[in-house]
Amino acid sequence: MSDVILGFCCNYTSSVDVDTLKKAGLVPEGLRIKRLPCTGKLEINTLLDAFEQGAEAVFVAGCQIDKCHNLSGSQRAAKRVGYAKKILDELGIDPARLEMFFASRGETEPIVEAARHMSSVLSDAESIHR
Amino acid sequence: MVEAGRSPNIEILSNARLEALEGKPGQFVARVHQEPRFIDEDKCTACGMCTMYCPRPVVDTYNERLEVTRAPHIDYAQAIPSSYYIDAKACLRVNYETCNLCAQTCTAKAIDFSQKPKEHALEVGAVVLAPGFGRVDSSVLERFGYGRYPDVVTSYEFERLTCASGPTEGHIVRPSDNKTPRKIAFLQCIGSRDETCGNGYCSTVCCMYAIKEASVAKEHEPDLDISLFFMDVRTQGKGFDEARQRAQEKYGLHVIRARVPRVEQVDGMLALTWTTDDGKSHSDLFDMVVLSVGLDSPEDAQSIAELADIKLNHYDFCKTTAGAPLATTREGIYVAGAFQGPKDIPESVTQASGVAAMASELLAESRNTCTISVTYPEEDKAIEAEEPRIGVFVCHCGVNIAGTVDVKAVRDYAGSLPGVVLYEDTLYSCSQDALKSIAEKIKENRLNRVVIAACSPRTHEPLFQETLRSIGLNPALIEMANIRDQCAWVHSQEPEAATEKSKDLVRMAVAKARLLEPLAQPTVDVTPNALVIGGGAAGMTAAISIADQGYRCVLVEKGRKLGGNLSRLAWTLDGQDASSVLDSLKKKVKDHPNIHVQLESQVESISGYVGNFTTTINSKGKTKVINHGVAVLATGAREYKPSGYLYGENNRVMTQLELEEKLKRGKAFLKNARNVVMIQCVGSRGEDLKHCSRLCCSQAIKNALMIKEHSPDTNIYIFFRDIRTYGFHEDLYREAREKGIVFLRYMPDRRPEVVRRGRGIAVKGFDRLMGEDIEIPASLVVLSTGIAPGDNVELAKVIKAPLTSDGFFLEAHAKLRPVEVAVDGFYLCGLAHGPKSLDESIAQAKAAAAKAVIPLAKGKVAVAPIVSQVDQKTCIGCGICESLCPFNAIRLVKVNKRRKAQTITASCKGCGICASHCPTLAISMGGFTDQEILAQIHAFSGGKCEDEA
Repeated sequence: MSDVILGFCCNYTSSVDVDTLKKAGLVPEGLRIKRLPCTGKLEINTLLDAFEQGAEAVFVAGCQIDKCHNLSGSQRAAKRVGYAKKILDELGIDPARLEMFFASRGETEPIVEAARHMSSVLSDAESIHR
Repeated sequence: MVEAGRSPNIEILSNARLEALEGKPGQFVARVHQEPRFIDEDKCTACGMCTMYCPRPVVDTYNERLEVTRAPHIDYAQAIPSSYYIDAKACLRVNYETCNLCAQTCTAKAIDFSQKPKEHALEVGAVVLAPGFGRVDSSVLERFGYGRYPDVVTSYEFERLTCASGPTEGHIVRPSDNKTPRKIAFLQCIGSRDETCGNGYCSTVCCMYAIKEASVAKEHEPDLDISLFFMDVRTQGKGFDEARQRAQEKYGLHVIRARVPRVEQVDGMLALTWTTDDGKSHSDLFDMVVLSVGLDSPEDAQSIAELADIKLNHYDFCKTTAGAPLATTREGIYVAGAFQGPKDIPESVTQASGVAAMASELLAESRNTCTISVTYPEEDKAIEAEEPRIGVFVCHCGVNIAGTVDVKAVRDYAGSLPGVVLYEDTLYSCSQDALKSIAEKIKENRLNRVVIAACSPRTHEPLFQETLRSIGLNPALIEMANIRDQCAWVHSQEPEAATEKSKDLVRMAVAKARLLEPLAQPTVDVTPNALVIGGGAAGMTAAISIADQGYRCVLVEKGRKLGGNLSRLAWTLDGQDASSVLDSLKKKVKDHPNIHVQLESQVESISGYVGNFTTTINSKGKTKVINHGVAVLATGAREYKPSGYLYGENNRVMTQLELEEKLKRGKAFLKNARNVVMIQCVGSRGEDLKHCSRLCCSQAIKNALMIKEHSPDTNIYIFFRDIRTYGFHEDLYREAREKGIVFLRYMPDRRPEVVRRGRGIAVKGFDRLMGEDIEIPASLVVLSTGIAPGDNVELAKVIKAPLTSDGFFLEAHAKLRPVEVAVDGFYLCGLAHGPKSLDESIAQAKAAAAKAVIPLAKGKVAVAPIVSQVDQKTCIGCGICESLCPFNAIRLVKVNKRRKAQTITASCKGCGICASHCPTLAISMGGFTDQEILAQIHAFSGGKCEDEA
C-alpha cells in the first residue's frame, strides 16, 4: 500500500478523474483528492487534521495567484499553508510534507506534478504514523 | 478525373482564377487569369526526375504539411493534368535566376521558365460554380489544443496518415514520438454546429467520415481503442446507418454522445472530460485526438460572389432555394457541390450532373455547334488479316523502369520471340513525340500487332489504342505488359530477377498478341425519346429538363394527378410554400410541347436495350406501346404507416404528413392544444425499416415551429434518438430550442409509448437527465414515420435493376454513377433511390435528366468492344448465361426452332460471367478469348512460345 497523499484542490483546477490518472499510472496510487469550492476555505486545522487522519503528505492546489476565481482565495490558502508548515516544524514533522501549488484553470498537468512532487518528498522519508 | 482530362471538349486551365464575368445567359465572357506552371503539360511525362534533383524543399500541402516535397512536384500520382508543376514561390530559378537544375535533368525537355502569366477571355454560354469548401479557421482548432499539443491532429491529417500512399504509408503514428497510439478519440463538430465560430450549420459529412477513418485505422491496427464523441450521430445518407452499425460492431468503436469542451495534455497523454446526457461527468486519457473538422464556405466566397454577381446565404455559401437548388441568383450561373452547402461525394457528383442538365437546357439550341469530335481513318482490314507482324516497344519510363530493369536486354530478348519483326526501346512511350514515332514505325514496318512493355493498361492502354486508331488499325490489336508496376516497382531491390520477370511478361504478351483479332466497334442507333416513370417532383423535374434539352418525353404516372408526395407537403424546409413549387412544375409539364403525360398508367413490360426500348403501359385499362431510347425511374416512395402507438385507433395520433395536411387546411385545431408530443424514428432505424429516413427530423422541427408560430403557448415535446438536421437545417433545430421546444433523447430499448388516459391520451417515456419515467398528457401525438420504399419489386424484375436490402433502387456506383442504374439506359432519381428532401430530389432529377440525354444527344450508343460472343453452333440453349447476366445483356432467341443465346452487345459490359459459366464453352470474350489466355499461360510455363491455336 503506497503512502496516502491528500490533495486539496479548488473547484477550478483539473476536472480529470483521479482514478483515470491512476489507471494510466500518471499519479501515485495513494493519491486522494478533496475538492473544495475555493482553497481560501481551508483552515489550518483541516490541514493538520489531514495528517492526523493518516496522510503522509498533503498539498493544496489553488488558482494562479493573480487569477483566483474568488480574487484572493489562493493567496489566503498559501498563507495558511505557511503557518501550518511552521506548526509542523514545531511538532517535529518535516514541513516539506505540506506544500502549496498554483495551477492554471482547468489544467490537469500541475496537479499531476504536485502529486509526484509530494511522492518524491516521501520517497526516502519514514512514515510519521509509526 | 481521367475522363475529364481526356475529353477533347474539356479544356482544363489550372493555376487560374476568375477575374470578371460579363454578359448575359448564353453570351458570357469570363476573364480568367492563369499563372504559369513552368512545366509544359504536353511534354511532361510525370517521371519525377525534377523533384529528385531540386535542392529546394517545400512543405507538402497535399499531405497536410506532414511531409516535404520539392519545388517542382505533382500533388499525387493520379492528379489531372497528369503533369508536374513548379511552386513559383519556392523555386530558385523563378525568384533568383539561379539553379536551373531541374531543366537540365528533364529528359523530356518539359521545363520551360519562359512561361508567362496568361489572360484568357472565354466566351461561354453558361457558368458553373464549383469552388468546393473552405477550411475551418485554425483559431477554432486551437481551442482544442491543436498547434499546442502535437498529438491533436485534424481529420484531414489523420486521413493522410491512414492513406497507403500518404506520408507514413498508412501506418498510424503519433506525431510527437512516431509511435503507434493505443487509444484514439475523435471529437466531432469542430467548427460546425458552433455559433461561437460563426458556423451554426451542420457540416453533414463529418460523422460518416469519422466512422470511416476509425474503421480504416482499426483495419490497420486491430488493437486500437477508438472512442468517437458525437453530439448526435448523423449518418443519414443512403446505407450509412447500416454501415455505421456494422463498423461499430465489427471494430468495437465506442460511440459516446457528448460534446468534449477542451483537450489538455497531461504528461504526454491527452485528457478529455465530458458530461453525458444523464448528467454524469466522465474523464479519460488518450494517446491521440482527432478533430473532425467541418466544412467551411470557400475562403474566396465573397470575391466569387462579387465577381459573378450572385448572392450568398448567411453562412457565405451560395444562396439557393429548395425549389431550385442548383440555380444561383443570377440566371445562367449554376452551382454544384459543397459551395451550395456542405455535402458528401455522392451528392456533389449528383449535383454536378444536375448543373450539366441546367447548362444543357439553356444552351440546347446551340448543341453540337462548338464541340470537337474526333475522326479516325478507315480501318485497314487487309493489313490486319495478314500473318501477325508484331512490334515490341519497351519503355524506360525515364528511370522508373530502366533504373531497375535492364530495358535493352528485355528489348533484345523480345526480338528473339517468334512473330516479332520490330523491337525497340523508348524513353517515354507515352510522350507525344514517342507516340508519333511509334505510329510511324508501325506504318513503315507494316506492323499489325503491337506490344507495349511499359506501365499499367488501366491508365495508358486507351492512349496507345488511340494511336493505333489514328493510323487505321483496330484498337484491339494492342497488348500491354506492365513491367513498371509488376517488375521495376515491386522488385526494385532485385534488378536481375526483375529483368527476368519482365522477359516473362513480354513473352506472354507476345504470345497473346499473335492471337489478337480485330474487334468490331458497333454502334447502335438511339430512339430520341425518353420515358419517365413517376409524376412526382422528381419525375416532373426530369421530364421538364429532358424536354427543355430538346427531346420528346413521355411521363407516366399511376395516380390520377401529378404531384406525388409533394402535393401533401405544406411548406418546404426553407419555408417556401410547397404548392407554389408544385404548381410551377405542373404548369411547365402541362404546357411543354415535348412532354406527353399519361395519367392512371402503369408500366407492364419493358423490352429492348439502351437506345431501343419498347415499353407497354396500361393506361386506364388500355394497352399502349411506347418506343424510347432511355428511361428515368422516378417512382417515388410512400409514407410508412406504423402499427402501435395507438395509430389508427385514436384520432389524436397522426403522422407528420397528416399533421402537415391538417395545418394546411387551417390552424383552428391548435386552439385547445396544450401539449403536442412528437416521436421520431417511428418505424425507421431498426423498428420496421432498417434505414434512416433522413428528413423526418427536419420535417418534425419545421412542423413544430409552425405550431409554435400559430400557438405560442402550446408545449411541444420531441422524443428523438439523434436529431439529424444536417446542413443548414441545423438552424431550424436551434430556433426550436430557443423557442422552448423540449427535446428528449430515447434509446431504442426504451421507446416512448402512447397510452390511453381517461378520454385522452398520454405519452410515457424516460427522461434521461432526471433518470425518471415521465408521462406527458398529449392533445396531439405526431409520429415521424419515415419513408418506406414504393412497390419497386415488380418494376425491378422487369428491368433487372437491383434493389437495396431496404427496397430502394440501387445506383450503379454510389459515388461515380449515383443516378445511373447498372442496366444501361435506365436512370434514377427522387425517393425511388432513397429518402431525401425536395431540393435533393430536384437536383437528382436534373442529374438523371443530364445522364439520360447523353445517349439521346449522341444519337448513337458506342459499344465497348470487349463483349461476349456466343458461338451459336456450340450453344445448347440452356439459358444459364441469361439467368446470370447482371446487366440483362443476354437473351435467348429461337434459331431454326432451337433456343440459342444471343448477346445484346449494346448492354454487355464484358464482365465474362456468362463465358465462365457456359457448360459448352460457347461464349468467348472479345480481347480475352480462351485461346489467347491459354497462349499466355503456355508462354509463361513453357519458357518458349508454343503454338496453341
